Amino acid sequence: MAEQGHRSIKRFFANFLNRFWRHALIWVCIVFALFPVVWIISASLDPANSISGQKLIPPNASFINFQRLFQSEQHPFGIWFLNTFKLCIVTATLVVLITSLAAYAFSRLRFKGRRSGLFAILLIQMFPQMLAMVAIYLIVFMLGEYIPALGLDTHAGLILVYLGGAMGANVWLLKGFFDTIPKSLEESAMIDGATHFQIFWRIILPLARPILVVVFFLQFMATYSEFVIARVLLADTNNLTMAVGLQTFIADQYAKRWGVFAAAALIGALPIVILYWFLQKHLVSGLTRGAVKG
Amino acid sequence: MKKAAHSTDTYNTNHAGRQPVKAGLMITKIILLGLLNALALWAIPILWGDSQWILLGVLVIATAGIDYAFLSKKALPLRFMLPGLLFMMIMVIFPIGYTVYVAFTNFGTGHILTKAQAVDQYTHRYLLQENLPVYTPEYYTDNAGQFAVLLTDPDGRQFVGYEQTLYSLAESPLELVDEDGDGVFDKIGNLGRLGGLEVFSYLGQFEKLVFQYDDHLDNRTDVYLKMRSMDQFASYVPQFEYSAASDTLTDLEDGTAYRVLDGSFVSDSGETLDVGFRTTVGWRNFTSLLTNKRIAGPFWQVFSWTIVWAILSVVTTFALGLLLAVLLNDAKLKLRGLYRVLLIIPYTLPAFISALIWRGMFNTEVGLINNVLGMSIPWLQDPFWAKVALIIVNLWLGFPYMMIISLGALQSIPTDLYEAATVDGASGWHQFWKITFPLLLVSLAPLLIASFAFNFNNFSVIYLVTEGRPAIAGALTPTGATDILITYTYRLAFEGGSGGRYGLASAVSILIFLIVGTISWFNFRFTGALEEVNDNG
Amino acid sequence: MKRFVVLALVLLSVVGAALTATASTEGKLLIWADELRTTVVTDLAKEFTAKYKVPVEVQELGFGDIRDQLAVAAPAGKGPDIIVGAHDWLGQLVTNGLIAPIDFAKQKDFSPVALNAFTWGKNLYGVPYAIESIGLFYNKNLVPNPPKTWDELLTIGRRISDKANKKYGFVIPQPDPYHTFPMMSAAGGYVFGTNPDGTLNPLDVGLNNQGAVRGLELLVQLIKEGIMPTGIDYPTMMSLFKEGRMGMIVTGPWAIAEIREAKVNYGFTKIPMIDGKAPRPFVGVQGFMISSFSKNKMLAKAFLNDYIATEATMNALFNKDPRPTAHLALAAKITDPDIIGTFESANAGIPMPAIPEMASVWTAWSNALELIFNGKMTPQKALDEAVVQIIATIKGQ
Repeated sequence: MAEQGHRSIKRFFANFLNRFWRHALIWVCIVFALFPVVWIISASLDPANSISGQKLIPPNASFINFQRLFQSEQHPFGIWFLNTFKLCIVTATLVVLITSLAAYAFSRLRFKGRRSGLFAILLIQMFPQMLAMVAIYLIVFMLGEYIPALGLDTHAGLILVYLGGAMGANVWLLKGFFDTIPKSLEESAMIDGATHFQIFWRIILPLARPILVVVFFLQFMATYSEFVIARVLLADTNNLTMAVGLQTFIADQYAKRWGVFAAAALIGALPIVILYWFLQKHLVSGLTRGAVKG
Repeated sequence: MKKAAHSTDTYNTNHAGRQPVKAGLMITKIILLGLLNALALWAIPILWGDSQWILLGVLVIATAGIDYAFLSKKALPLRFMLPGLLFMMIMVIFPIGYTVYVAFTNFGTGHILTKAQAVDQYTHRYLLQENLPVYTPEYYTDNAGQFAVLLTDPDGRQFVGYEQTLYSLAESPLELVDEDGDGVFDKIGNLGRLGGLEVFSYLGQFEKLVFQYDDHLDNRTDVYLKMRSMDQFASYVPQFEYSAASDTLTDLEDGTAYRVLDGSFVSDSGETLDVGFRTTVGWRNFTSLLTNKRIAGPFWQVFSWTIVWAILSVVTTFALGLLLAVLLNDAKLKLRGLYRVLLIIPYTLPAFISALIWRGMFNTEVGLINNVLGMSIPWLQDPFWAKVALIIVNLWLGFPYMMIISLGALQSIPTDLYEAATVDGASGWHQFWKITFPLLLVSLAPLLIASFAFNFNNFSVIYLVTEGRPAIAGALTPTGATDILITYTYRLAFEGGSGGRYGLASAVSILIFLIVGTISWFNFRFTGALEEVNDNG
Repeated sequence: MKRFVVLALVLLSVVGAALTATASTEGKLLIWADELRTTVVTDLAKEFTAKYKVPVEVQELGFGDIRDQLAVAAPAGKGPDIIVGAHDWLGQLVTNGLIAPIDFAKQKDFSPVALNAFTWGKNLYGVPYAIESIGLFYNKNLVPNPPKTWDELLTIGRRISDKANKKYGFVIPQPDPYHTFPMMSAAGGYVFGTNPDGTLNPLDVGLNNQGAVRGLELLVQLIKEGIMPTGIDYPTMMSLFKEGRMGMIVTGPWAIAEIREAKVNYGFTKIPMIDGKAPRPFVGVQGFMISSFSKNKMLAKAFLNDYIATEATMNALFNKDPRPTAHLALAAKITDPDIIGTFESANAGIPMPAIPEMASVWTAWSNALELIFNGKMTPQKALDEAVVQIIATIKGQ
């Protein structure tokens, strides 16, 4: 009896420690992650445009930078914000579709050149893209000559460019996940005469939801923060994305307006955090025994 | 999982009507493919006529690819990959091809334009003849693309300029009409006079008008009249004449001939005209890179740091990301939703500002980190510490990505594996190394290799945090201790000579790609990333 | 099935639109301006359109992007008619064939220094509007009377500096050639020497001569005495000054706005004399240029002559962004002591070299400065090495 009590105390204690160190470790990481963010917040509240300041709470702290952001007639921040999210959602959705299709072929079909094809799509994305700008500009320009809706300064044209970069690491991520989905389900469907597309659409995709969510979010973020291509292709102020629009605040070599930039960066980050909050609910294993047997 | 089960059911009920559906599909498929090919056939001559070779190539390859994918039974895999491949072809492979092309040219400062554009600029350079009279213009148009001017010289003589020729009033092919008799011609033929401000809308067209002066003045036939300002036409002589036969530009003032040499017009005495053009230069960019003493010098130093940097970047971010992912994947962990969200915040903020904040914190004298530590570590000033600082900043920037992909990949590990292991009494630690880690690596190894390649060329982080500094003393060429291959070599291209040497930079890109590609290939071989995947077949 | 439809639609639109020609941009002005200039130019554009019925579009780009994207867009026929830019782009833009000479009727209204900066060969390529250069900002609470000589600066610096409390006398951004040049030029340092015909000689680099070394030795002395902290970049320098921890800094008029916002009791004046000689900062001139690919050069010229080169516009630009104006009549009316301070600095300055070879100078120069400030090398040795590097870089190999 006594021994049992001792053991349960010990277990309780071990359990507590076990939980405690996990939380402690996570909190250490959170402090590491959020520490610089505190300074960004501080910069956004500083009307005098200080960054990397010595004082955490700036003297004369105010929301003037946020006000400037939303009241500026010159910079339609709200429109940039909407443009960005439109582009991000459309691009991420299409990328998930395109890459999961390809990943299905790589995972489930056997064909010549499969291995080298897989390697090639990863390799191609390793090419330093710094100088590809001119070529991308030219091709979008030429496209626009024939299909104005896909030309320079259009969102559709920009999405097209982003879709070009879809095949790459994402295909591997999806394929790796598809590989772990047991084949028993498809085999029975195959016997029933289902086509590969039906298997892909009705069996694989629903089961792969966690990784689809991951790819969607990664692509969303990649599109959100991309500005190198966007700033060359987009021109009209009302067409800009946030990442491009914000560049104008810090374009001057010395007179960079970090306060407004910081305010905008924080406002832009908020919906992404909320998006992730919602998406992560789908980040649960779709692969329980139930599904495998189903 | 419910959905999956449901979908198979749905499928079963459809079983009976399958055949007709298939036949219908087949017909639609053929009709649509036919339509597609018809459209392509229609578009090809148009693109051909416009000399749009690139678009033409894209159209032909795309149509052929679609046809093949949907007509050949063997091409089933291609049907799934087609959308991705087509976009990749246009937006990734074509730009790579273009970069390869540029690597064989002198494209860069002073050589931006095509030869035709450069020649066009020279032949449109005119010298104003200030000793010759100026003319007052009146402007006429029919609003349908026809333009004429009526020029009056200081002596009151008038000329009509129409279709590149200057006529005296008597010779004018068009009748001049003064409708209201106020002494000003209201019409030339059916071209109406533009009054006052109306001219502005057509200024672009009028400024293109150039009239050869003929024999109206001093028997000079080389003089041209063109617009100097809105209210003035003046006499000009062309500065250069281009002869396509001998491929030379001749300065008409002194007769100097400028011949084409490496994308510039150069006179016999070695004088080069200001605007050059781009042209192919063979392997020169590559040979100059490979024989360049200034590259050979610090190459191994820079290269070894690049490797160390890429490896450390992947290892540190992956270790932290994976650790957090494993901790946060535990369904029993309280607040895990909140934790996950807080931990991705670094990923959502622009690196411009966060890198700058980090730089401020790393400042030796006034930075927060040294203040908190109570030390004076020369972050950013000492080669070793600058590298440490870079790795820390990159860890901050990069761990959320690794956490997100690890969290995703963790979902692919069936929970029953853990249940079995728990029954066997395996500890959490043991479970992780024996079950989780190997399985995770199957799907994540390729991504880690991609991440290695990405960091190998991670120009922006290096530039944002250290700009490659601190400087290495005694280098033959400006080199920094944290310079990686791409920052170092691009600097050669963009800061050498007169800067902006895109041709050289393209050659650099290709060489770096070869290096990264080779390393990645070895990575694949030796981590077995490719083999593992294959065994799943 | 759906994919068929989508594919077919996409291809249909490919071909269907094949006959749509590009709209010519004749009769329409497109202007690329940076953030500060955009509002002013947009207002003028509206007036211009109202009067002449010519549409004018103003697109806002980052300042540096204007130059970089012109090289991509203009030859493709998609570029602007007018750009806002800096005079030191001139060498690159002219040799790239991207800008056209301007027949400018109102030259007499503008500062000869500014017009000169926008002249390349025999031609004028820009309508200038602002001249700027750097000077000395001082915190009046710490430095009631600004130093006139370097010795005075030393004395004041010694009095203020208190390393333990993170208070310092003086700082410049490091390693930053632009902000260091005045100290190097005072006693005779220069970037490029001049040829007999007045053009710059890129192979004559004077960054390691006695004067240049002297300037850096003075800065090293400041570091050794704890008056100047090291490793301070521009934003950190500004924070220290705005928080009142810094007696004096060197920078330009663009900083005035934020220093005012921070409510620092500041003054702006010339950098103190070194060995009895005036420091000569780089002078930068900003202005409007016309693209050589413009199909509306006359219209652009009319716009610049009649709308930009007027006192009213220059005043509007000045009010938006208080950089010293290049318009003589307007400059004469300015009473703001800060701006007068900049004028004085600029008048003593040297135009930033505009030749493309300048690209080869910056990194070697800043690396030398870094080695000097970090105490790794003596000024003489580091600058000698930098000059060797610069000349090797300019020669291309």
